[in-house]
Amino acid sequence: MPLLTLAVVLPLLAAALVALLGDRPGRAPQAMALGASVLSLLALAATWVRFDSGAGMQLLEEATWIPSLDIAWRLGVDGMSLSLSVMSAVLFVAAIAYGVGPRPLGRGAAALLLLLEAACLAFFLAQDFFLFYVAFDVTLVAMYFLIALWGEENRRYAAPKFFLYTLVGSLPVLLGIIALFLQSEPNTFDMTRLVADPVFRDAGTGASLIFLAFFVGFAVKTPIVPFHTWLPAAHVEAPTAGSVLLAGVMLKLGTYGLVRVNLQMLGAPFAKYALAVAILGLVSVLYGALVALAQRDLKRLIAYTSINHMGYVVIGVAAAAAGGISAEARALAIDGAVLQMIAHGIVTSALFFIAGFIAHRAGTRDLHELSGLMRRMPVYGGLTALAFFASLGLPGLAQFPAELQIFLAAFDVWPAVAALAALGLVITAGLFLLALQRAFLSEPAERWAGLRDLGRLELGVLVPLIVLTVALGIYPRLALDLIDAGSWLGVGLP
Amino acid sequence: MTVGEMKAMEERMVADLPWLAPIGALALAAIVAVALALALPRGRQGLAGAWVAGAHLSAAALAAGVWLDRGFKAVMEGTVVVDGAALALIGILGISGALVVALARPVVGGTDREGEFYAVLAATSLAAAVLGAAGDVALIALSLGLLSLGSFVLTGYLRASTRGNEAGLKYYIFGTVSAAVMVYGLTWWFGLAGSTSLAAIGRALPGAPEVVVIASSALVLAGLAYKASLVPFHFWAPDVYDGAPLPVAAYLSVLPKLAGLVALARVLSAALPDDTVGWSTAVAVIAAVTMTLGNLAALRQRNVVRLLAYSSIAQSGYLLMGVAALPWSDQGLPALLYYAAAYAVTNLAAFAVVLAVQRERGSVDVGAFAGLGRRHPWWTAALVLSFLSLVGIPPLAGFVGKLEVFTAAIDAGQAWLAVVAVANTVVSLHYYLRVIAPTVLDREVQPAPEPLGADRGLAVALGAATVATVLVGVAAEPLLRIAAGATMLGG
Repeated sequence: MPLLTLAVVLPLLAAALVALLGDRPGRAPQAMALGASVLSLLALAATWVRFDSGAGMQLLEEATWIPSLDIAWRLGVDGMSLSLSVMSAVLFVAAIAYGVGPRPLGRGAAALLLLLEAACLAFFLAQDFFLFYVAFDVTLVAMYFLIALWGEENRRYAAPKFFLYTLVGSLPVLLGIIALFLQSEPNTFDMTRLVADPVFRDAGTGASLIFLAFFVGFAVKTPIVPFHTWLPAAHVEAPTAGSVLLAGVMLKLGTYGLVRVNLQMLGAPFAKYALAVAILGLVSVLYGALVALAQRDLKRLIAYTSINHMGYVVIGVAAAAAGGISAEARALAIDGAVLQMIAHGIVTSALFFIAGFIAHRAGTRDLHELSGLMRRMPVYGGLTALAFFASLGLPGLAQFPAELQIFLAAFDVWPAVAALAALGLVITAGLFLLALQRAFLSEPAERWAGLRDLGRLELGVLVPLIVLTVALGIYPRLALDLIDAGSWLGVGLP
Repeated sequence: MTVGEMKAMEERMVADLPWLAPIGALALAAIVAVALALALPRGRQGLAGAWVAGAHLSAAALAAGVWLDRGFKAVMEGTVVVDGAALALIGILGISGALVVALARPVVGGTDREGEFYAVLAATSLAAAVLGAAGDVALIALSLGLLSLGSFVLTGYLRASTRGNEAGLKYYIFGTVSAAVMVYGLTWWFGLAGSTSLAAIGRALPGAPEVVVIASSALVLAGLAYKASLVPFHFWAPDVYDGAPLPVAAYLSVLPKLAGLVALARVLSAALPDDTVGWSTAVAVIAAVTMTLGNLAALRQRNVVRLLAYSSIAQSGYLLMGVAALPWSDQGLPALLYYAAAYAVTNLAAFAVVLAVQRERGSVDVGAFAGLGRRHPWWTAALVLSFLSLVGIPPLAGFVGKLEVFTAAIDAGQAWLAVVAVANTVVSLHYYLRVIAPTVLDREVQPAPEPLGADRGLAVALGAATVATVLVGVAAEPLLRIAAGATMLGG
């Protein structure tokens, strides 16, 4: 059975069906969306069962599409594709269960969430550059409407800004794809071939320009400082489930591309610019942490820590690209980078839910106004504390093993970069502890007396994410055995 | 020429006639439409419209037939070149023309001289088809003149509208002047080559003094650039689109424009072979300036028709990328033709929605689109899809078009032009979103007046163009294959 195609097509079909439902659909849109996203997750789980760790890119599904340009419906998985798409599918189930806009989920919201899911999964599974780009851009359209329709106060400003900035990111990628297509012999959009047999073996001007085009595109998406300015607005103004998907899934489109394209297809020019990329990653780590430190709005704070956490991923990928790194250290770096993408996806999603829950109840996310939440809402407080600890990189929780691996690998190449990046950990630890102390452990103010603790639905979406956070922290091999970068990474690298 | 030679020529020309069937269908369309307009009572004039729409579709079908059964040939002693570019253009013209007739029915239906409107429209399409196939500069001048005349009459059709009259006059004066400039340039070419045949001119120009070639070619360019609304010959477009009946604006934004661009491609590559005097760089610069000015001007528009006018100027810039690539990449012509098809259906879908809104609200201000999503979800879907296709968002037609022209530009060593086009795409998103956003996000400012009776033709055209906008992109293979096979004969 073409499981990967099913995983992509089911949400797409469901989106079309939901959009065609009658005028008063009641609970049907939410039920259908949830059903489709669970089925999609099951298809990916079944793929995981069939997946042969250590065998690299596999389970390819191919169907003709536009043969005259060698464009085809090509899907396939290696450790990175599968782990990221499973993580995405989990987050989509949670986001759809929680919903955007009025409850239960309306037709438009359900259709857009499903369209977004299909596009994100297609992006991670695509082994064809045309499909890859189509998916990349469709995510923008779907997210634009999600923010514009169901976002917060300033959505009319944030939504077009998000669309414009990220389109600025995606178009250079298109140019890069065309350039690689024209350079390949015979011309192809087949990504597996471009990975197995990279077009460029050196870092000439052409290769460097193409590298730059892809890098800028993915840097906007990740985002790497100074291409990050769209992020705070979009994350803060998006509806809760939208922020979850933006941070949890869509930021990974950037770093996934960085590994899949810049590292695997353009390894030679990447080696030349590895240090520069690592320094940008370092700047993101420090800048993200410092700006987050200054935030009073919990949602903004989480948004900026995302810049910090994705910075570690960038450092890991750059370290893997550096010339002279050993194969073991390279695999270690990418294992760490992919694990960090997954850990950040789960932890940050939990954090955005947490911010959404309190904003919904208290009408504010201002950490200076909120107080005593631990006493008023002990379950909420406890889960939040766990998520905060995970995000600051406490051992035993998801992000620790990932960041540790990245540091180890980076230390091998650039000790100074690794040492400075560790500063970021200190700052994030400080800011999360500060937030915890201010809003959660302080004396509760009179006005927060009426806050109720989490309800069933809220627990239902948050608890599984926290459980995964703990599981990945205690037993990171759960994901690492699947990722296994050593088995697929080196195909075309020098 | 001896009598024998004359006879042989005549026989050759008679044998060539089947290749002219698609053009003939449009000529017949115009002639019969005139007769119908005279004969039919006022209430039944719509029949002439049905006839013209059908004839447009037959022209497209005949073009396909000629392509498949007979292949490409320069006929009539080389004056008419029935090759892939010409046939593909006629295919696009035929389908677009039929769609425009469907859009025009609700606007001109019941007016006096309705039948004549369709007759003039058919004659204009005929001129556009001939322009795209002309292999002789005399025929180019002739068809360009007819094209201008027809467009002028269509623009000023609603005689009671002063804006329409002003638009028509503007179009005519601007058009005649640029056509005259072009004819002046053509006389230089004739002087240099001693022939009006593009093939003969193409043999003479590369050896002629460079200054003369550059000057005369620039003059020739003016006439065609005007039709394609290329900067700096674009000033007429917004005023004319805004003043003309909306279906006529839709017509002008597609048919004469695409014919002008195909003619430009043919004239440049036939008369100035192998990038004589470096015209491809000049064309690339014009493309860059056209898309940039078009997009920047569109940013300020609140009137959606004017916005679409500037957008269509910008789109001419993207189309021109295919022309600029012609000497250096065999992707250039396929890119131009594919983009032309994608642009035609997309732009007609966009105009169809604007027309539907104008009929209901009597306004084409951005504000008239507020809350459209709630009231007319299907119109809104068409608007969102067609506008996103104009941006170039995948998997819609406009995206594959952009993929093609970008590929052609990079392959031709004009990567800088692709970068300019990318920057322009981002700018364009801004104004396209300004129309999309209120349809979905805003509430109606004031409830619409009594809904008009739905017009079947308009609904069908809107639906067909929108479906085509999606299909041309998602199932691009057949059209890409046609475009790839659409070679141009060298005069």
